[in-house]
Amino acid sequence: MPEALRLHPGDNVAVAVAELPAGATVRVGPPPGEPGFEVVTAEPVPFGHKIALADLAPGDEVTKYGAVIGRATAAVRRGEVVGVHNIEGLRGRGDLAAGGS
Amino acid sequence: METAEFLGYPRPTGAPGIRNHVLVVPSSRLVNIAAARIADHVPGTKAVVTTGENGRHSRDRERLARLFTGLGRNPNVHAVIVLGVKPGYGYRELDPDTLAAAVAGTGKPVDVLTVEAAGGLERTVEAGIDLARQRVREASRVRREPVPVGELSVGVKCGLSDATSGISGNPAFGRAADRLVGRGGTVIFSETVEIIGAEEELSRRCTDPRDAERLLRMAREAEAAARATGEDIRTINPLPSNIAAGLSTLEEKSLGAVEKAGSSPIAGVLEYATAPTRRGLHFMDGWQSSFSLPMSLAAAGCQLTVYQLGGEDLPSSDPPMLATNTGVVAPLMMITGNPRTAAKAARSVDFSSGGVITGGCTVQEAGDALFGYLAEVASGELTRGETVRWADVLEPYFLGPVF
Repeated sequence: MPEALRLHPGDNVAVAVAELPAGATVRVGPPPGEPGFEVVTAEPVPFGHKIALADLAPGDEVTKYGAVIGRATAAVRRGEVVGVHNIEGLRGRGDLAAGGS
Repeated sequence: METAEFLGYPRPTGAPGIRNHVLVVPSSRLVNIAAARIADHVPGTKAVVTTGENGRHSRDRERLARLFTGLGRNPNVHAVIVLGVKPGYGYRELDPDTLAAAVAGTGKPVDVLTVEAAGGLERTVEAGIDLARQRVREASRVRREPVPVGELSVGVKCGLSDATSGISGNPAFGRAADRLVGRGGTVIFSETVEIIGAEEELSRRCTDPRDAERLLRMAREAEAAARATGEDIRTINPLPSNIAAGLSTLEEKSLGAVEKAGSSPIAGVLEYATAPTRRGLHFMDGWQSSFSLPMSLAAAGCQLTVYQLGGEDLPSSDPPMLATNTGVVAPLMMITGNPRTAAKAARSVDFSSGGVITGGCTVQEAGDALFGYLAEVASGELTRGETVRWADVLEPYFLGPVF
């Protein structure tokens, strides 16, 4: 059973479905019967949090569910946790002069 | 076995009920106390006690009136007792006779008791108790009978979302929703702020282009309201609990949230607290609050409301739920797709699709099991929430401001 799920083939993040330690070689699903792959965690990943499947530069789009969920605000290496510390959403942003969509 | 029927209470018109309540509606906040005392004294009654009408503009008073009449018209209600103050008192939208007439069109018994006519507050309570005791005995003479499962209307909200919400919890409900709609039933989803990021995809599923435009307008207005605060929406929604559990942006949360809408075409887009005019999957404009939305879905005719709980951020043992019995006349079922939540909240969670995460079942299998369970609860099986004598405070979704 995979320890992380990539929900859509084009996604550049996977979701941890177990508590993952740093330096773990994690099997990333789609479900059994389809090709999966592995990623090595660069840091501990809590249950439910996102793991980068590719290196990201600031401003790069982050994709999950086959859609854009935000953009990177810092450089991210494959295997690192993606979260509010290095990704920002773009919708509903009253704080931005030129709003979200 | 294919779920085709449930046991429901027949009503004079419209869909059958899955519960059999007598509802007491205070048309003015002045008589909240009377409604509460009647409901406290007479088992089988429910009172809808809210923050009331004073100082609110007409659109919000209309919303409150739609809540009251919608709850009264709900199939789970056998009879309604509307309480008032005196003739001509208060706002026109909430005139007790107007509310009563809107409910009486269903053919169910509706009475109006006013303080002036009864001769005072205590007399109103006495008269209300006498009438309620009569109505609950009448209600007890109505018998459940087999009815097609397509007579069910189920409302859904997802809450305290975590990463499992979009992977197992909401997708399993979406599958159950597809099954119910396939049988001619109705499913209503809502939470307008949380379609931001998914609204284009949803609008393409509307069978009527006017509905598509209405849905996009609702999402645009919600996003504009968020921007107009001058605040970063991220400090409001996602909630701290969503972020702690692994959801990072509103659009990420929304994409997971709309999984609960399954894959059926959207047959209608509804204004707040408005019942559909046809069957099928509907979107209703609404606020995500657990103290608000279940009641609002019940006012839109849902006999059953479902809360799809993420819950990763809740305490690790026997956590409190986000709301208890806030559907007023419609039971609120707690489901989750998080196996850790199902384990720690065994006292409160009615159904888990957590097997999708652990590899024990597929989304389809979980959704099919949930569809069957919806019919069991419709037929009379109590949810865990229904076994506690508590209902949280009710929050109508008002636009504001107040004056």
